[in-house]
Amino acid sequence: MEPISDGKYKWCKRVVLLALIVLCMRLFDLQILKVDEMRRLSEQNRVRVKKILAPRGMIYDRKGKVVADTRPSFNLYLIREDIRDFNQTVDGLARLLELDREDIITRLKEARDYPSSFPVKIESDLNKDQVAKVETNKFYLPGVTIQIEPKRNYPYGTMLAHVLGYVSEISSEELAAKENKRYAPGDYTGKFGLEKAYEPYLRGIDGEQRVEVDATGREVRVLDTKEPIAGNSLHLNIDMDLQAAVEKAFEGKKGGCVVTDPRSGGVLVLLSHPAFDPNQLSSGATKDYWAKIATDKTHPLQNRVTQGRFPPGSTFKPVLALKGLEKGIINENSTFSCHGGFFYGNRVFKCWRKEGHGSIAVHRGIVESCDVFFYNLGLKLGIDNIHEMAETIGLTKVTGIDLPGEKAGMVPSTAWKLKTYGEKWYEGETVSVSIGQGAVWLTPMQLQQLTSFIANEGVTFKPQIVNKIVSPQGKVIKVYEPAMLTNAKLNKQAIAIVKDGMKGVVNEPRGTAYASRLASVSISGKTGTAQSASLGAGKGDHAWFVAFAPSDDPVLSMAILIEFGGHGASMSAPIAKIVTESYFKEQKEIKSAQLRPN
Amino acid sequence: MYIDKRRLYHLDWYLICNGLALIAVGLFNLISAARSMDSGPYSLLMKQVFAFGIGVVGVALIVSYDYRVIASYSKYFYGTTLLLIIVVLILGTIAGGAKRWLNIAGVAFQPSELMKPVMILLLSTILHQEKREGEPLGLRDILLPLALVLVPCVLILKQPDLGTAVVILLSCFSVLWFVGLKKSTYVFLLGVTAAALPVFWKYLMKPYQKMRILSLLNPDLDPSGFGYHSIQAKIAVGSGGFLGKGYLNGTQHKLHFIPEHHTDFIFTVFGEEWGFIGSVVLFLLFISFVLRCLKISQSASDEVGATIAFGIASIVFIQFTINILMAINLAPVVGIPLPFISYGGSSLISSLIGAGLVLNVNMRRYMF
Repeated sequence: MEPISDGKYKWCKRVVLLALIVLCMRLFDLQILKVDEMRRLSEQNRVRVKKILAPRGMIYDRKGKVVADTRPSFNLYLIREDIRDFNQTVDGLARLLELDREDIITRLKEARDYPSSFPVKIESDLNKDQVAKVETNKFYLPGVTIQIEPKRNYPYGTMLAHVLGYVSEISSEELAAKENKRYAPGDYTGKFGLEKAYEPYLRGIDGEQRVEVDATGREVRVLDTKEPIAGNSLHLNIDMDLQAAVEKAFEGKKGGCVVTDPRSGGVLVLLSHPAFDPNQLSSGATKDYWAKIATDKTHPLQNRVTQGRFPPGSTFKPVLALKGLEKGIINENSTFSCHGGFFYGNRVFKCWRKEGHGSIAVHRGIVESCDVFFYNLGLKLGIDNIHEMAETIGLTKVTGIDLPGEKAGMVPSTAWKLKTYGEKWYEGETVSVSIGQGAVWLTPMQLQQLTSFIANEGVTFKPQIVNKIVSPQGKVIKVYEPAMLTNAKLNKQAIAIVKDGMKGVVNEPRGTAYASRLASVSISGKTGTAQSASLGAGKGDHAWFVAFAPSDDPVLSMAILIEFGGHGASMSAPIAKIVTESYFKEQKEIKSAQLRPN
Repeated sequence: MYIDKRRLYHLDWYLICNGLALIAVGLFNLISAARSMDSGPYSLLMKQVFAFGIGVVGVALIVSYDYRVIASYSKYFYGTTLLLIIVVLILGTIAGGAKRWLNIAGVAFQPSELMKPVMILLLSTILHQEKREGEPLGLRDILLPLALVLVPCVLILKQPDLGTAVVILLSCFSVLWFVGLKKSTYVFLLGVTAAALPVFWKYLMKPYQKMRILSLLNPDLDPSGFGYHSIQAKIAVGSGGFLGKGYLNGTQHKLHFIPEHHTDFIFTVFGEEWGFIGSVVLFLLFISFVLRCLKISQSASDEVGATIAFGIASIVFIQFTINILMAINLAPVVGIPLPFISYGGSSLISSLIGAGLVLNVNMRRYMF
């Protein structure tokens, strides 16, 4: 049965055949008759996609001061497709700007997988003379082009360098990594500090411009533009005024300092000396500077606060005092007697005070930092009790601050020694650990955590530098709420005794940091003078001071280290005084300004 | 689901192999088209293979029921699809400036694509309900069918998706012609269309759609804008030459000269890499597919089956022709995919549903 007449199918076939003929004729025309013209057009397809770099997000301190922004810079690019005579352009350019010919070739090679119309960055941040030279000789250098692009700028120079970090061109190894697919050679990426940790937020989205160019690569017209989207800005907890005060106090010294708000973990000050200049590291002409920084024996690239591990010395003593009181091994009135030394085995462990402290209990043990008191206490506790307390406080792991490369400290235990050395722990080693020497290594960041732990009576928060992330339109993308790390249930009396001892260190006449007391605000602290293992006793001890203030309602918690600085009491404690003084002076100014009637 | 084993012998293996050949060409070509994308070549490929899997399940379901049974449910399919199109209009995610996709559990789906085979199924059913033996259809007979065609077309135009609306309209008119109208009805339809065109141009078409048509007539009108893509597509195809530049050797799409080079402009990638020879082979694959559908239509056991097979043939043919004409700068740029070849799950599934219906008609031609 054939329900539809054959005529209709005949018509269908005719239409289909007609379409086939039309299509084939057009293809024949395009692909065979006009092939040369089309090939030429396709090869000379001089429409280029030009990248428009997105400005990196700004970084502000807690009061809105700009600590990182961008400024325009002149960058030099080579487009291989436009080079007519390779030697003329490359040699000419090398001579003109005194560049290394091999460097240019290496850079061209790095981009060999990209189309020949891809602009390869040769030099960043040209100065005015260089720009003028290139522009006047452009005619002899086909392929060379200069683009104005945003460049990272740090108005405060070396100040806050270890926190901010720096950006620089992505390396070939980084480029090969899978997670960096969105990057091309010549792109900038955060290499250190916040720039690295918050790279995905700061980077922004590059724009694109399709440009028609003539045979020499000159832009004829812009076809369309996709505007770049600036990166998100970071608002820090850092207080630049306070930071500046500490930077000033650290002039000519090596070491580190961190100040936080113990109620939230917000980092107010973080400094590591010596520092580097992120502007120079983020700039193109940095080979010499990089070589200088990288080979410097004082290690300016190390963030001493989060990456430097030092013996804590006497600043470790509150850990023992707290555990001893908690466990009931001692009470407020238990005394040990100090005659300036302590015999253990066939060795004498000295107290820093040759004449001794006589019969001494825990309060004055802390206030006067009596070593013999803590030798005795340490032995009574045993190393595993000390380790347990350190673990509760969080001293055995990283604090989790939002900076890359943080290192964890080390507090030994019998299990650790057995595992690492296959040996049992000797009691004699406990004696050294009791005064923060021996196998105890902590970062200033961790000692700050210890201080917060005592200030907050068992509670600590994750130290946090970035407070919030805000989009270029001003929309808040992310707010970092305080994240509690520890919430230890402590014996109220025990912690009160330790806190009282630390208050005495600064406020009682025989306290080791009595000279750094303030009339207006009560500071609590603990000094430390740690022998550095490399130099041995007496030769350049590390000067420590950890503190919180005000004593009764702490809003500041800090750790200060001066490397090979000598005595903690005389070198580091005055800096705590400066921090507290400037902080409260400003608070007072704000308050009085608010009270003043308009 | 019961299927008589004898019917499996009547599966048209010619049509199946022809369709699979087209899909294979499409998948290989997609690897080349997507290789310059950020997501890499295989992300799109996997999605397309997934859609193919769904389509094959669809074909298996369709051939297991008599097409007459399926046709008797066509108004429900139509109603559901129409509802989905309305939902898309209201909720649809904005993609490429147009609301075309519906997100179901994270999978984007384009209901207007589904309307293509559903419309054919519905028209084939209701036209033959109206029709009296040996008598062509009058104006009164086609008023309801016309309304049923126009409602989704207007909604799809609103998305705005001119291409899909054009495909549905053209294929429905071919079906009307195929079933047969009175002479006076043809004259009337022609008159209405002629009168509607200016109104359509003035009130319904978006400015960019008008620009695309104008720039086809005069590419220099706006060579950097709307004429630009057509010219670039033409250059890509032309530069392929007689033998083509070779698989994975095309250069034009890599530099982002051609937008949508993996969907509507997919032929530019194929034409550049496979040249004249490859393109003619591809055309012959399409023509052979369409002719096979027509042959099945001719040998169908009843008019409904014949009309379904014809309608599907017309859809494939219309999309193929306009898509290629667009890629070689002979038709304005409208969003019409190349069936089986373009990237797009909804389009592939829709084409497979059509093929399933044609296979179904063929399998049941001997029984009545």
